[in-house]
Amino acid sequence: MLQQPELVRLLTEGHLSLKNCDEDCLTGNSQEPKQSVDEEGDPFNFTPQLIHLHKDHEIFEDGDIHRHMYLQDLYISEADDKPPLSVSEFACHISGCSAVFSTLEEYEHHYNSLHRHVCCSCRRSLPSARLLDIHIQEWHDSLFTILAQRQDLYQCLVEGCGQKFRTSKHRKDHLIRIHKYPPDFRFDKTKKDRGTRQMKRQQQKDTAMELVDDVCESEGVGEVMCDVLSNQLEQGESMETHVSEEEAARMAKSASTEEHADLSEAAHSTGTSTEPLKPRYSYRVPTTVCFGHGSVRGFRGRRGRRK
Amino acid sequence: EYRIEILHFKKYVKDITNIQARRDRQLVSKRLLLNDDEDQPGVTMDTNSGEQVRQIGPEREGHLKALSKALRDPSAQLTFIKQENSMHLLVGLLTGSDATCRLQAVRCLHELSHSPHTNVAPAFLPATPYLLTYLSGQSTKFTELCLYTLGNLCPDSDVVKEKLLAQGIIPALANCIENQRHNLAVVEAVGFTLSQLLQAKDAAEKIIPMVLASSLPSHLISVLTPDPKFGLAPAIECAWCLHYISCSMKDNRVLLAHGALLQCSSLLVSLGGAVAEGNKEEGMELLICPLLRCVGNLLSSCPVKDLNTQVADIRIVVALCALLQAYLQAQPALARESAWVLNNLTAHSSAFCSALLTLNLVPGLIQLLPFSQGINTMILRVLANVAHKKKELCVQLAHHGLLSALCATLKMADQEMVTLSMDVLSVLVVSGPQVAEEFVRQGGLSLLEAIQYNSEGEIRQRATRLLEHHPLSSSTYCSVKTSVLCQSLCYVISQLL
Repeated sequence: MLQQPELVRLLTEGHLSLKNCDEDCLTGNSQEPKQSVDEEGDPFNFTPQLIHLHKDHEIFEDGDIHRHMYLQDLYISEADDKPPLSVSEFACHISGCSAVFSTLEEYEHHYNSLHRHVCCSCRRSLPSARLLDIHIQEWHDSLFTILAQRQDLYQCLVEGCGQKFRTSKHRKDHLIRIHKYPPDFRFDKTKKDRGTRQMKRQQQKDTAMELVDDVCESEGVGEVMCDVLSNQLEQGESMETHVSEEEAARMAKSASTEEHADLSEAAHSTGTSTEPLKPRYSYRVPTTVCFGHGSVRGFRGRRGRRK
Repeated sequence: EYRIEILHFKKYVKDITNIQARRDRQLVSKRLLLNDDEDQPGVTMDTNSGEQVRQIGPEREGHLKALSKALRDPSAQLTFIKQENSMHLLVGLLTGSDATCRLQAVRCLHELSHSPHTNVAPAFLPATPYLLTYLSGQSTKFTELCLYTLGNLCPDSDVVKEKLLAQGIIPALANCIENQRHNLAVVEAVGFTLSQLLQAKDAAEKIIPMVLASSLPSHLISVLTPDPKFGLAPAIECAWCLHYISCSMKDNRVLLAHGALLQCSSLLVSLGGAVAEGNKEEGMELLICPLLRCVGNLLSSCPVKDLNTQVADIRIVVALCALLQAYLQAQPALARESAWVLNNLTAHSSAFCSALLTLNLVPGLIQLLPFSQGINTMILRVLANVAHKKKELCVQLAHHGLLSALCATLKMADQEMVTLSMDVLSVLVVSGPQVAEEFVRQGGLSLLEAIQYNSEGEIRQRATRLLEHHPLSSSTYCSVKTSVLCQSLCYVISQLL
């Protein structure tokens, strides 16, 4: 126990009287805690309060049992049958997602894999903010469609390349030729072109990411995606950490595109990331597509339904 | 099989507690004072002694001894009281001229009082006035037996209890503890008997006012300091008495006036020190538990301005933290009670809140936030109390790692933890720009954004509020990046021109 020697020292060193008693006396009606700003509709209702516990309060149950065991000569100071101390679980906040975790790392991994970078229109989860931006732009922005007829607006997916193309096919060719994407990777797949999910499950890691994208059709995106990924985790857990280690190279090789930039790039910010989540994506949402800010742009639209 | 006994007993107690809770009764225990030549309670079957005792003669003492042994058997107990005039016989011997017979007679009564059958107690009505009278007697062994007999009877029968109260058991106990205060075995017995009375469900109306009016409170308080030779037992009994009083009353000014809070808190400091040093005497938690409860409940009656006289030693917070850590694994319920007391200390006192920081206790508390069973919610309340006191304290709390701890607690399944965490956060982020920025740096914004999708309205509300109204929304950390729409518009405009 980290602090015990320090505590011992404090406790054995004479008497520490209650200084600053003046500040308690001077505050007058110090029974009332100070409210900083009394805003209307302030939802934060915690106030410091004294808690008086009645004899039969459940907090007292264990101690009472020990007391009576002592009276009946059955008390043992160090009992072997004590249950291990329980630790709080973590739970995913997203309504509809009922995932529960015993460690923070599991929570982070879950959340980062499934609930970030979600498109609100089609509810696809994209692996990164940039790819989400590109997806929204290419799939859901009608202005883009118009402008793209006259200019090269299809961006190369590899960050840093910077090249732009007139059509998604051109981009696909570029990705295969220049950035060595496997040709049998899922290109030009629309939402309808699902193919057999079962078959895909046996395939490599890339497909695992695709499956995540594909299940956006359903009502409860969070739920379904969680189920899928939790199945995938057993098989493909190692893949994500693997990928994050060789980030740049992997992204260049294994990312795939579809007609409308349905992206299956391996996530570059997985649960093992120690860097803090960057908020920069939060404020770049084109207002025509989704309102408000947030990485979970995809769920904004559903809020009204959930009451 | 001793351990199995414990498990069975625990289960038994839990079952009984549930049944009794439904029938609105309480846990009942009795004590059996063993003979000097015994160390284990044993039962001998003897069906004749009842009859034999009726005979006058030198063998009577022997017969009484045999009877008392026989009466250890529950079925013999029932048989005995069913026999006509059996109680009167014993009472006669109890008050007779033969001192040895008196002692043996009271032993018989004591065995009877220990009966698990609740219908034995009413048979004692002829005996109670004499038992009470003997409390002021000089024979300490005799007095002890009388006390435990009375103590055993109290919980069994309301009729007996009413009679005892009317016959003056409270003043008798007060006198006894005063006259016999140097005999710690008797003091322990008084404490036990009183605790049996005080545990009654109607104690607050009928019994406690009488006790508070007597000299008992000051005696109970003075016994709290354990005698190094005799041990903890008398202090344990008296501490439980004080607990039953303080938890049953909303207003504890009488006990406060007697210095109960002062004494209990000082004791906790020394006990905390002993525990921190690793000097855990056997059964120390049996004393620590009621002391914690007394301090906790007495604090709720104590005005803040009186804290410096009632809890003079600020090291109480250190002791509580030591107890928290020491009992976290072994007896989490005790750790939880320690955290509760910390809450009551910090709720309205700036001095105690500051003390937590100046004595460097906050990091240790933060380390306890993962643990459930009510421990983390109580600890978070304590930290919330500190945060609510002064802005300077908020900055210090953040410096000690509270922000990153909150980033974890905000993800917990326990909704009370999430709600409390946001309440704490709301105070922290307004305390200073560096705190808000630190929180954003730790990824707090996206965390709050996710919380906006929580299924609980109260939780969503708080998250939205924090994002929209607090300094977080204007944090300089958000970078400005041209949106795609802007870019598109620029193209359009450039084409048109």
